[in-house]
This record gives sequence, structure tokens and C-alpha cells, in this order.
Amino acid sequence: MNQSDTAAKEESVGKNESAMDVGDTNTNMTKQSTGRQLVAIVFLLALATKMFLLPIFLIQTPGRDAYIAMSVFGAFDLLLLVMILIAIKISRSDFFELLSSVIGKVGSKIAVSLVALFLLFKLNICVAEILTFYGTNVFTDFDTSLMIVVLLAFFTAVGTHTLRSLCRLNEILAPILVVCLAVLTVIVIMTAVDLANIFPAVRNGEKFVSGTFHHAAWTGDFTPLVLFIGRTKTKKHTGIYAAASGLIGTATAVFFAIVLSAAFGNVTMLVDSTTNLSSILQYTSGNVYGRLDMFSSILWSISVFMEASLFFYAVCRCITYVIGVNKHFAVSLGVCVAVYVVQVFAFLDLMRFSIIVSSYACSVIVPTAAFAISAAPLVCALINNGKQRRKSTEAKGDAH
Amino acid sequence: MKAVERITGKFNTSENIVTHELKCGKISGALIVHPDLSDAAVARAAIFALENCAQKLSSLDDFVRYALLEYDIKISADVDDCVNKLLNGDMLLCAENDDRYAVINARSYTTRSIIEPPTETVMRGPREGFIEDLKTNLSLLERRLKTPDLSIERMEIGRRTKTNIALCYLGSVAQPSVVKKIKQRLSKIDIDGVVDSHYLVPYIEEKPQSLFTQTGISEKPDVVAAKVLEGRVAIIVDGSPMVVTAPFLLLEEFQSGEDYYQRSAYSTFVRILRYLGLILATLLPGLYVALQNFHYTLIPVRFMITLMTAIKGLPLSPLSETLLVLLLFEIIREASVRMPRAVGMAMSIVGALVLGETAVNAGLISSPAVMVTALSSIALFTVPNFIGPMSVLRILYTLVGGLCGFFGLILAVLFTLHYICSLNAYDTPYLAPLAPLVYDDFKDAIERGPLPDMKKRPKSIPNINGTRQV
Repeated sequence: MNQSDTAAKEESVGKNESAMDVGDTNTNMTKQSTGRQLVAIVFLLALATKMFLLPIFLIQTPGRDAYIAMSVFGAFDLLLLVMILIAIKISRSDFFELLSSVIGKVGSKIAVSLVALFLLFKLNICVAEILTFYGTNVFTDFDTSLMIVVLLAFFTAVGTHTLRSLCRLNEILAPILVVCLAVLTVIVIMTAVDLANIFPAVRNGEKFVSGTFHHAAWTGDFTPLVLFIGRTKTKKHTGIYAAASGLIGTATAVFFAIVLSAAFGNVTMLVDSTTNLSSILQYTSGNVYGRLDMFSSILWSISVFMEASLFFYAVCRCITYVIGVNKHFAVSLGVCVAVYVVQVFAFLDLMRFSIIVSSYACSVIVPTAAFAISAAPLVCALINNGKQRRKSTEAKGDAH
Repeated sequence: MKAVERITGKFNTSENIVTHELKCGKISGALIVHPDLSDAAVARAAIFALENCAQKLSSLDDFVRYALLEYDIKISADVDDCVNKLLNGDMLLCAENDDRYAVINARSYTTRSIIEPPTETVMRGPREGFIEDLKTNLSLLERRLKTPDLSIERMEIGRRTKTNIALCYLGSVAQPSVVKKIKQRLSKIDIDGVVDSHYLVPYIEEKPQSLFTQTGISEKPDVVAAKVLEGRVAIIVDGSPMVVTAPFLLLEEFQSGEDYYQRSAYSTFVRILRYLGLILATLLPGLYVALQNFHYTLIPVRFMITLMTAIKGLPLSPLSETLLVLLLFEIIREASVRMPRAVGMAMSIVGALVLGETAVNAGLISSPAVMVTALSSIALFTVPNFIGPMSVLRILYTLVGGLCGFFGLILAVLFTLHYICSLNAYDTPYLAPLAPLVYDDFKDAIERGPLPDMKKRPKSIPNINGTRQV
């Protein structure tokens, strides 16, 4: 998008704005997401996968200190979020333009290829979690190799449409997800778990550090937000609201981790790698009402679908940028094939998935890459702004 | 006379038109009339008037100047245009040695009376409905919008039908870019004929192949007037009682003209029921099949026991059974719409008793499946304009729910929602004000706020004058 167009459009958004000014028209000029949509997406990314299988994985390793590990991951991700939000605030160029203006076109294509690889890995973690959840908790007989096709069909639709459509979808689903979260919270509180069970904290420091380190692949959930840089219509406090939304989301994820840590932190043999909140019978509301907890969990899984689709969209757009051809359907199909191959041939066995994800390499590379991806646009935006300031100073000097 | 021959030569069968040759004073002339479309009394009166002033007449201009003063007349030399006017019911008056024609308005054709439209009946509120006559329809609209700001632009579409079309909007409210875009699209239409307003719909929609309609259709002048007041453009087509409005929001499907004639609290309640109806209509059969096939642990135990008793010994699987009942319902519905009214009662008996109860008694289908389909089908009619998409979606959801359980059902719903979210028409997001959220428009979205509170026009519809009342 033309920078001056964006600026002009932003200036025109005022008291008498219409829906198209709020961020939606079919014209190229306003194909942007809105501040509200960004806030909703941040909330979803803050807790979608972190509330899914991660708490159980953490309980198996750092034990009752799982919630501390979750807090560490949350804090790290919030730091990355803040960097991306600052980049969104100060930059009017999009992520690809930013990289290209600082490290050149070839350099940016190499960098974006690496970003695409990282996002593809994160996408596969999300998909593996979804399939594991449905395969073990919701279905008694779940044919992953067939069911994944339905998921990939949805992803293809996401890949061929705009970010704006995805943001709108998230916006309309957000209230439903918040209701599910509220129901789950009530169910969890009703079970009256003794929260004192989480103490004493960090009794075995080595086990805690090792367990936390080996689940570092679950960091970097906010990285797809780099695509919102230069494509979001921000207002004065959008950044603050988005950060607050991320904080609330992270706090919610930590709260659920605390409850699970209190319930199972001292008896880790009771949980296996496929268990999550919904499959623990302790949380059922009784047979009279049916499995409300399970129903809410299934609806809640929509948030992970959304996170996965955002990663998918990000991968597709990165690849489109690298190859330089706007063939979204073909690119989406290609990414779908890659996901299918990884899921069916590499991640189908849950043990193998655990080994890969908790490997030393993954635990080092994922947080490092997440940090680099989040910091890069900020650094590039600062460099660009510095350049522009120097240019305008020189221009003023020449004029004098 | 050459002028007459030029006109009659354009017709394959010249018997379709009648020519009265006249001798008025020093000059000969002819009156060409289409007897099926023109008022014979006007022709008679014109001839009488011409004969009365015969001595003064020496040219076509004199005809108009002296004899036909009180008539609506235009002079034209374009033969094609004159033929077109003749086919619209006008008379042509021509004079010897003159290439021009006087086009006299003598249009007269039978129209039905203004009655309450069967598709939009109301308990309270105006009962007038549009009819097939453009002039009457325009007068119905103009009576409600008595402002010089009301712009009515006319055009003709259809190479053979030459259908008259009127574009109505408020000049100081409607977004000029939207009006321009609609006009551009209409002017690009090059087809043989437009026999109904629905013919235009695919040409003015952004995605004509979509399952979801992206233009509003109404038979009621009060509804169209209200839409025009919000900045929309109404397209009235001669020969059709259905008026098309654009831009269009999905939420309009859930609004009825009557909502504004009742207490706002009750209207809000009714609107919530419509949304609930949508969910029940599209998702209930799919959920039922998914629960039976894959997720029976989610069903409360007592209900489960009842269900097990009902489906015991059935020869069909839950999916095929529900699909069968759904298809049967669709067939019965289609038949009941098309068949003569006289056999309606017999059809209901056959549909409800023979197919329904007997099939359950025979053990071919279960009563819960019939109940689920019946409930879903009743819910379908809470949003009458949306029956088509909902019927297709519920069959698809049932299929996906039966094959892939909640996993597939959730993805199918997400797929549909994502598709709807991607729709835009004339700078209007289809799902506004829900996505993107436009809080100010919530007063007339799910809620129907009191009219004094609706001081602004909806932001979801592009307009250049946001204030409705001060």
C-alpha cells in the first residue's frame, strides 16, 4: 500500500467515520485490520495453545511448578508482543517493505524464508495439538490422515483470502470464546481445588529449569503479528489495549496452569500427555447436564483453529513474498501438502512429536528465532525512521 | 406515406400496429397506434382535436402547437426511438414530407391493484405493496419520500425488452461513489431482456456465484423508503413488484419492516429469536448426527436412554436417516410451493401423516430424527428471505457432522463464517456491524433500539450525511 494513501486515510478517520473507514472496504487502500481486531487477535494468541496441551506437558516435567514455567513463557512472549506493537505503532511500511528497505531485496527474501520456516514449524505444533486433542479426548476413533484434510481445506480458504477476513472472523468469534472461557473458569472454580498444593515452589531448581527449557518451543505465539505491521489502522491507545489484552490472556493461561498444578502437580502420574482440562472427569458437571466442560472445551478449541490459521496465513504470505508471485491458491495448496506430510509422517506418533518438540535444538532455536522475528521489524522501523528524519533535516538545511 | 412505411417496416408483422390516415386542412398525416398498449380514447380524442383545427394546420409543428396543446408530446426524428416509444404504448403522429414524428403519451395497460404483498405480510403497519407497473411503484415511493432530494434516474436495459428501470436514492445522503458504481454496472448490462428485477441482481452483486444474496429485495414501499433514507439505492424495474436495494448487509435478512412498528423491546426479542432460529435451522440436524455418531458421551444419560430406545432396530445409520428426512422435507416444501392451492390440504396430509408418522411406525426412521428435522424446518421460516442458503447449509452441515463429528462441523461453520467475512459490496462489509464491529450501529442490529435514539444513519452503509435527526 502506498504510504501517503495510508496516511491520508488515517487522517480521514474521524467522528463521522463509516464502516469502511473503520477498516473495511473492497478497495485496496483500506484493506487493513482495525485496532479492535488486533486487540482480539492478541488475546486469542496469548492463551490459545498455552491453555491446550502445554499445561499437561509442563506438569509432567517441572511438576507443580508448571504454572511458574507458564509465567516465564508468558512473560517472554509479552516482551515479544511489546516489540511488535511498537513496530506496528511507528511503522507505516509493512513487514516485508521494512526488511527490504534495510537489508535489501535479496537479504529480505532470505530472511523471510527463514521466518516462513519458523512459522511453518509453529503451525505444525498447533495442528499437532488440535489433532491430538480431537484424537484422544473427543473421538474414540479418529483417522488423522483423513480428518486433517478437512482442516487443510479450511486453511486453504484462509490462505486465499485476506488478513482482513481472518481478523473479522476472529472478531466475530471472540465473544463466543470468551463465554467458553468463562464457563470453563466457573467449572474449574466449582471443583474447589486446594490452591495451596502449588507450594512449596521451585523445590527442585534443576528439574524446573530443565522442564521449562525443553518446552520453549511453545514460545513465539505472537510472531504472526508481524504481518499486522503497516496493515493496521491504529488509534492513540491501540497499542496499550493490545498489550493489556495480551497480559489478560497470559494471566488467564497462568490461572488455568495454577489450577492444574494444584490438582495434579503432586501426582503427576495421573496425567498423561494426552490429558487436558476437558478430559479430566473431575471437572464434569454431572450426567444431568451432559459434559458441559467437554462441550466448552470443544468450542474453546476454535481458538487454536484460529491461531493455526493465522500461522498458516503468515506462512503463505511469506512464501508469496519470497517467490514474488501472487498465486495464493497454489501457495496455500503447497503449504497444505507440507503440513500434511509433517503431520502424517512425522508427528502422527505422539512420542515422536514430543521428542522433536522438546529436543535441545528446538528449545534453543524457537525462542531465539521468535525473539529475532519480533525484534527485526522494530529495529528496521527505527532505522527507517532515523533515515527519514535525517533526510527531512537535510532537506530543511538545503531549503535554508 | 414514407414516414409510416419507415415505422411499419421495422415490424415483422405490421398487423400489430394500426395506422389512421388523416387529412387536416392542407396537409395529410397519419396516426400510428399500438392497439394493445395504447389508450384508444386518447387516439380518438387526438383525431377529433386535429379535425377541429384542420384549417390552421400546415405542418407537424402546427399539429402540436394548435391541435394537441393539452397532450404530453415530444418531437423526434429517430425512427428506432419512435418504434421503442410505440412499443411502450405511445402514439406517433407524422405529417407528409416531414421526417419527424410527434410522440404522444397514450400509454395504457392493465395493472393489478395494490394489495398486501404475500411475501411480507405484517400484523401492524402499511399493507401496500409494489405492483408490476413502474409508474405506480414510483408514485408509491415518492408519496413516502416527499423531498426534492429524491433522485430518480431512468434507464432502459434489455436489447429486446427495453425494460424501463428507475434508480432511486437521496442525493444528499447516498454515497456518490456507490451510486456511480451501481449505475456503471447497470449500464454495462447487455442482455436480450430483463423480465424481472431478479435478472439484474447477478449484475450488480460483487460475487454473483455466491450462495448468499448481496442485494436486498422488498415488495413494500415503506421498507424501501426506509432503506433509501439510510443511504441505499433502490432499483425499480418495470414489470416487477420486487424492488432491489444496495448496498446490502447480512443483518438485513433478520430485520423486518414490522420491527419498527412494534415496541422496541419486543422487536429485540423477536430478532434474537430469528438468530436463534438460524442456529437451530442450520446446525441442529448436524449436531444431532454428530452426537449420535461420535460424541454420545456428551449427551446427558437420561436423554441418551430415551434416544437409544427410539433408534433401536433402525435399518439406517443416523446420518442417512437424518439426510433422508431432510431431503423428504425439502421435496415436500418444493411441491407445496408449486402445486395448486386446491390440493394443498391433501399434500399436507400425505407429507405429515403418511410419510412422517407411517415411516416412524414402520421403523424406517426414528421419531427423534423427524422431530429434529421438524424443529429445524420450522426455525428455517423465522428468516424467510434466507431459506435458500440455510437449507443448503444445513444439509452440508449434517453431512459433515455425520462424517467428521464436531471436528468437521466446527471447521465447516468456520469456513462459512470466513467466507461471509470476506464478502464486501459497494464498500460495505457484508457482516457489518458485527465484523467489523461498528458499535454505533448496534442500536439497530441484534437490538432494535427506540427510534428517538437512532439519531445517526448506520455507519455500515456508506453515506455522506450521517445525521438522521438532531
